[in-house]
Amino acid sequence: MISLLAWAGTSAGYAQAGFDADAESKIVAMEHVWAQAYTIRDPKALASILDDGFVCVTSEGKVLTKAEVLADVKTSTALQILTESMVVHLHGDTAIVSGNFRTKGVERDKPYTRRERFVDTWLYKNGQWVSIASMVSFAGN
Amino acid sequence: MLLSAPAQEGGKGGATTAVLAREQAWSDAESRNDNRALERIFDDALVYIEDGRLATKGECLSRVRRADSHPRQIVAGATTVRIFNSTAIVVGIYREISVKDGKVLPSQSRFIDTWVNKKGSWMLVAAGASPLSK
Repeated sequence: MISLLAWAGTSAGYAQAGFDADAESKIVAMEHVWAQAYTIRDPKALASILDDGFVCVTSEGKVLTKAEVLADVKTSTALQILTESMVVHLHGDTAIVSGNFRTKGVERDKPYTRRERFVDTWLYKNGQWVSIASMVSFAGN
Repeated sequence: MLLSAPAQEGGKGGATTAVLAREQAWSDAESRNDNRALERIFDDALVYIEDGRLATKGECLSRVRRADSHPRQIVAGATTVRIFNSTAIVVGIYREISVKDGKVLPSQSRFIDTWVNKKGSWMLVAAGASPLSK
């Protein structure tokens, strides 16, 4: 699923958001919360960092709204989500975070490992960063 | 992507129209292998995911440069645009018919693009697509 764990070495991209010097670290921390929400099945933790207009495209090409993602968290089969890299690009009040993550879990009594890449879009809104979009894709070779 | 019947959200029609025009310009430039036009559409920090690979602006332009001359047909399905001040999120479906080694390869994917308005121009800062399950 969508998200990442902050092992994360990040690197700044473009125009640093002057109004929020800690943008990168805040966003990476929230990506961490996002990943944890899946592993502990806690939609409340995720609800505050996803904008009401949030939309996600999954590796299977499905479109999920915020409500659908929160419902998905409740039934998550992920036991561990490890991020292999994270890069943050700032564009004024918008931030793009890209990276890879590996999910380990158990589904129908069978263990699985999934490698995916993601691109998340964050927006500085009413004094805080919220995610407005996410794209996840199974990792290619 | 060639766009049709977009759904506008938030009543921000002017921005929606401008973003859709940029999507159309992107599609047209790709079909012509027009790197100069693409350079004006892609932000320098573009992040692109396709077929599970992360690509930069330079890598995207390089791919277009290497593309063979067989025209690809790109037909879009329903498209939704969400405007958040100077940021736009576009979600839709496109069907593509490409030719590789003499074989016709149809495919259908869901895409999501992020545009940011910089100095009056909508620039593509992130994009990606996942193949739709058959």
